[in-house]
Amino acid sequence: MAVIRDMIPPFELYQPAGVGDAVRLLNEHADRGWVLAGGLDTFDWFKDRIKRPAAVIDLGGIDELRGIAAGPDGGLDIGAMTSLTELSENGDVRSRYPLLAEAAELVATPQIRNQGTLGGNIAQDTRCWYYRSGWPCYRAGGNICYAATPRSMNREHCILGASRCVAVNPSDTAPALVALDAQMVVANVSGETTYAAEDFFIGPDIDITRMTVLEPGDLLTRIRLPAPQAGARYYFEKIRDRKSWDFSLASVATVLDVEAGVIRDARVVVNGVAPYPVRLGASEVAVRGRSPDDEAGQAAGAAAVAGARALRHNDYKIALMRNLVRRSIRDAA
Amino acid sequence: MAENVIGTDIVPPDLRAKITGRARYAEDFRAEGMVFAKLLGSPMPHARVRRVDTRAAEAMEGFLGILRASDLPPVEGLGEGALTDEPKYEGEPILAVAAVDETTAAAAVEAIRVDLEPLPFVLNPLESLREGGPNARLDGNVGGRGEALTVKWPDSVFEEADADKLPMGEPTTEWSIGDVEPAFADAAVVVEETVMHQSVTHHPMEPRSCMAYWQNGKLYIHGSTQSAARTRPNVAGMLDMDPDDVVLVAEYCGGGFGSKIAGSPIMAVPAALSRKIGRPVMLRITRYEENYIGRARAGFQGWVRMGFRTDGRMTALDLYLVQDGGPYGRASDFSTAATVASLAYQPENMRFRGVPVYTNTPPRSAQRAPGGAQIVAMLEPFMDKAARELGVDRLEIRKVNAAGHDGWVGSGKAPVTSAYVREALDVGAELFGWEEKRQLSGRRKGTRVNGVGIGLSPFVAGSTGFDGLLVVRPDGKLHVHQGIGNLGTHSIADTARSAAEVLDLPWDRVVIVWGDTSKHLPWSSVQAGSQTTHAHTRANHAAATALKGLLQELAARDLGGAPSDYRVSDGRVYRAGNPSVGMDFARAARRAIQLGGKFSGGEVPEDIHNMTKASVAGLAGQGLIAAAKDNYPHEGSTFSWVISFAHVELDVETGEVEIIDLASAADCGTVLHPRSLAAQTNGGVFQGIGMAKGQRWVFDPKWGIPFTKRFYTARPPGILDLPLSPRFAAVNLPDPQTPVGAKGIGEPPVGAGEAAYACAVADAMGGRCLCRTPLTADMILAELEGRPRPYGVLDTHV
Amino acid sequence: MDFLRRALNPWGEEVPMGVSWDLAWAAVALGALFVIGHALLIPKKTGGGKADADAEEAEGLPKKILRHSLGARAFHWSMTVAMFVLLITAFFPLLGIRFPWVTIHWIAGFGLILTLIYHIYHALTKQDMGAMWIGRQDVDETAKSLKVALRASEEEPPRSGKYPPDQKMFHHVATGVTVGAIVTGLLMMFRIDHFLWGQNPYLFSDAVWGWIYVVHGVCGIGLIFLVIAHVYFAIRPEKRWMTWSMIHGWIDRDRYLQNHDPKRWVVARGETAEGRGDGQSS
Repeated sequence: MAVIRDMIPPFELYQPAGVGDAVRLLNEHADRGWVLAGGLDTFDWFKDRIKRPAAVIDLGGIDELRGIAAGPDGGLDIGAMTSLTELSENGDVRSRYPLLAEAAELVATPQIRNQGTLGGNIAQDTRCWYYRSGWPCYRAGGNICYAATPRSMNREHCILGASRCVAVNPSDTAPALVALDAQMVVANVSGETTYAAEDFFIGPDIDITRMTVLEPGDLLTRIRLPAPQAGARYYFEKIRDRKSWDFSLASVATVLDVEAGVIRDARVVVNGVAPYPVRLGASEVAVRGRSPDDEAGQAAGAAAVAGARALRHNDYKIALMRNLVRRSIRDAA
Repeated sequence: MAENVIGTDIVPPDLRAKITGRARYAEDFRAEGMVFAKLLGSPMPHARVRRVDTRAAEAMEGFLGILRASDLPPVEGLGEGALTDEPKYEGEPILAVAAVDETTAAAAVEAIRVDLEPLPFVLNPLESLREGGPNARLDGNVGGRGEALTVKWPDSVFEEADADKLPMGEPTTEWSIGDVEPAFADAAVVVEETVMHQSVTHHPMEPRSCMAYWQNGKLYIHGSTQSAARTRPNVAGMLDMDPDDVVLVAEYCGGGFGSKIAGSPIMAVPAALSRKIGRPVMLRITRYEENYIGRARAGFQGWVRMGFRTDGRMTALDLYLVQDGGPYGRASDFSTAATVASLAYQPENMRFRGVPVYTNTPPRSAQRAPGGAQIVAMLEPFMDKAARELGVDRLEIRKVNAAGHDGWVGSGKAPVTSAYVREALDVGAELFGWEEKRQLSGRRKGTRVNGVGIGLSPFVAGSTGFDGLLVVRPDGKLHVHQGIGNLGTHSIADTARSAAEVLDLPWDRVVIVWGDTSKHLPWSSVQAGSQTTHAHTRANHAAATALKGLLQELAARDLGGAPSDYRVSDGRVYRAGNPSVGMDFARAARRAIQLGGKFSGGEVPEDIHNMTKASVAGLAGQGLIAAAKDNYPHEGSTFSWVISFAHVELDVETGEVEIIDLASAADCGTVLHPRSLAAQTNGGVFQGIGMAKGQRWVFDPKWGIPFTKRFYTARPPGILDLPLSPRFAAVNLPDPQTPVGAKGIGEPPVGAGEAAYACAVADAMGGRCLCRTPLTADMILAELEGRPRPYGVLDTHV
Repeated sequence: MDFLRRALNPWGEEVPMGVSWDLAWAAVALGALFVIGHALLIPKKTGGGKADADAEEAEGLPKKILRHSLGARAFHWSMTVAMFVLLITAFFPLLGIRFPWVTIHWIAGFGLILTLIYHIYHALTKQDMGAMWIGRQDVDETAKSLKVALRASEEEPPRSGKYPPDQKMFHHVATGVTVGAIVTGLLMMFRIDHFLWGQNPYLFSDAVWGWIYVVHGVCGIGLIFLVIAHVYFAIRPEKRWMTWSMIHGWIDRDRYLQNHDPKRWVVARGETAEGRGDGQSS
């Protein structure tokens, strides 16, 4: 079959007005259905004619999925359809969760942030160009990882968490949410389930065709942030080839709980280096009880890369991740 | 006295329409009964079509027809057809389908079964040069004169070179000046490196969409092209028809960078399909398809040796280039590169060797400073290396080697028309603050290290011998007919300014006629090779001089006296010393119509091109008409120079580079349009920086398929990658061999920006050169950390 | 239903991807049908063998006769564990039960290989290979047994050698299928990352790879059926003594004489099951 790109094939469009209707439609269409949020990931797939769902459920008309409100226990409750621009410009987010505001602000371009949603940014598919080319790789239901051969072009691929597939999670907000210990609320016809952000993302060892726990019929509805720790220090950085419209080569999101110049607790998360945002437990342990300086940063960096394995072209990511973790401890503010 | 129009900022006539969206590009046109076409591209990088089964497509409702390669005139030799039965790169169009709408056309293409026999393919030129290595073409692997050659180097050539050194077997092109070997023996410093510049695609904003229909045997074609007059015969040639039967409409072009010089092969598809099915056909080229058929810059795997005296003067330059040239034609980048290198450094002795190798990657064409940009970006960092070793300032070493007015170029040591290179170096150094900035070199601030660099880049900047065609109509305005294209460079307006200058006419009395061959356009240069400014300020100058003569003659005839008694200014022709005796342009136009003959296009100079003659005939009787060929004397080759200065900060923990400051200076002769010149130069500098910084053209080596088919994967630079206020200044001294003194500027800034950036990054790395493009964060970080490099210096398409 | 999963490779050529997983359900269904059909058709008392032990034949024989040595049992049960782990890790994820199965799967595969290596060594050095050989007598015996089972004959069912023909057949089919799965599985290790050797997914052309996956899938699915059948027979009342023998190692003398032909499975007189570990049968 000849390859045609940049032409969206026909589909049935559903535009529910409420979450109830949306999950009913999703349930009805199951794996023939597709959730459309901002469309940035979706329309790439559709235009390439690689994903051809029969039914598209557009969440654009569901007001209850938008907006940022105070959550219980002094936290924040963010609708999954809240745009990245709204998120990064929101006063509460900026002042209390600067990590998340910064991550959202570094996504792509202003146009994409206006259109793109937090839910979509979290749940987006990987950008592995073998997979995105429609090749029959593991992630596409096949039996090979084209990116993990001795000849593959895998500069952008993973150094951690590989299992047959070596794609990376492309989200900028995901590591921030894991670092902030956010909760993801997922609805389906049987009700609501809440996942810790850390558990929301899954690796190819668990399910090679999905990046998150979301199964057909599931809908990510809300993202809940716990109240921030007093005295918390934050660090977010995204390294990319160019300063706009680019996914990360590696990113780091760190939250340090510092009291009297000593790190009591830390959450250090990296992305762009594994198929899911990785919480670096060893780095966290390495810095607990130390002052947030370069020495602690170096210890965290060294712990971060233990077990990292480079593919043919991405050895640099080991150094990059180590350095990012190091400066996230050293420069967190 | 009208205000002098040369050297002032004007609003070009196409600007408002472009900004407001009223401008109609090829894709915006519609015709009665228009249908759509889609292309079927080869899934393999090299294959032969065995069988095509179109039954399922033909059975679809709304299907209208199929065009195969056999429906088009056969392509000879190394040439490229719009369609092929032996695709030589993945994505090469095999056939096109027309249907009532695009959705149906796409579905029909998907329903077609093409049985392909895979053939050997090659992406890396060096692999093709090995014994037993694959050839990109069935008739050979290296470009010869009009035919392909088969060149294989013995294994010993490859064994002698390790992974980081270019293997150098027998070249197919070689020339030398003097003798390099004794010069190297006597040199105070010799720099020797293997260095590579990758191929990159053009990525113009507007893909090469095209709409065509036939009426009474004439082809009406709306396309995206850099040139107008020169596209018409090209389209006619592709369809084996008379150029007079082609009406080309191409008023706007969303960028070409050399990829749409005289249209594109693909224009033949809607034209031939329309003829076949008897309906107007629109072929909208998508961004994805543009990546394949949109042309690319040839890449080089190179080796260089440079010898210097203690004062920094280059005594010997030895250059070897293996060109990655795609599967068709023979890109001349590699030979131009040698020419540009000779001009840039004026080496006392020089040797050039090269091999243009075919690869199964999309076709190459000129890309803004073809060959020049690559070689400047490859060599300039070695000038810095030599300067370091010699203890000579980096600005100084460039001055020592810069061409003067007695400069020469190429193997024949041809003279140049003018060269204000040292002046440009001074202007640029002053603008940038080189003296202060160079002190920053290597200075560290936290994790960031400063680096500064200079890039010096010459490129050809003008041709001669084209026609100008002017009409003063009864509306009293000067209508300048422009056969050049509207590439977006403002040339259609700016080259008309020489006519206004000659006639001393205010700019608001000038009307530009362009972009539609039914509007009677003169024979022109292609809008490429930075020729236009030079060629058409001359042609319009010649035509305006002729027009002025006609005005004077007309006035003398009606108002008495001799023609030489009359002056032309401000839209009037009047008696010197008695301005009240005269007539305005409107009256002159009416008189010309009444008088006919030579005043109104009844007679034309013998030496103008037939196309111009036909245009004059078409305009005859509509006003006072003058057509003339540029016969001004011109000795030597015309070149422009741009020198860019870059200041960067490199983060040693991430490998990221931020450009803090950029300044560029040009020797492009007289400045016609300061604002446009600055935009043009800065744009070129950015484009060059893009190639150095991160633009990529990645292929999977196993399957021969590219991945960088979108802007987000190909990564041309974004506005945030560049400093907000790049600065620019021009020497603004006229070239003595052209009446207006202006030279072209389109191309030299690309190499200047790219080289300045590469030099600044190397400077921040303490003089360490990565010797390849692009200088992405991964390459830099791996080098700084002493880790394995992501790519070897000779790896292509990474 | 398609038997194969197919895909277009990057050059647009159709290549097999593997066997259709629907066939796994078909194997389960077939296994269930077989079990139900067999249970309905074959009454449980027609287990085969003579109704009563011959006292003459019994003379001098120990009360407990070793049928499966400790080594053989160890092999059987470790292989069972490996096999179940392999099947669970292979098929549960297809049922939507998600866990990191790949590493467990290939490690279990290596476990299986080790048990087989032991088994081959054991069989070559300590066991009588001929006992598993299917000969003419086995064919006659099978024909007779079938007639009895289908009540087409009133004769007593014949007695077998050490291993009845159905057991032998099962052994050989299982061997073929297991070896098929192992060989393809080892090759498939080139497609994944592990510490044992380098990954090279381009070792074969994608069509060859496709067929390797098909064979692996067919063998895996075949094993589902074989395991169902095997477990079914193991729990059938008239065969439970054999199952017990795989646990305890021995069978009692009566069972021996009822089911086995002492001429074909010669047990040395005067020795007990505990007496010698191996080699009592010849």
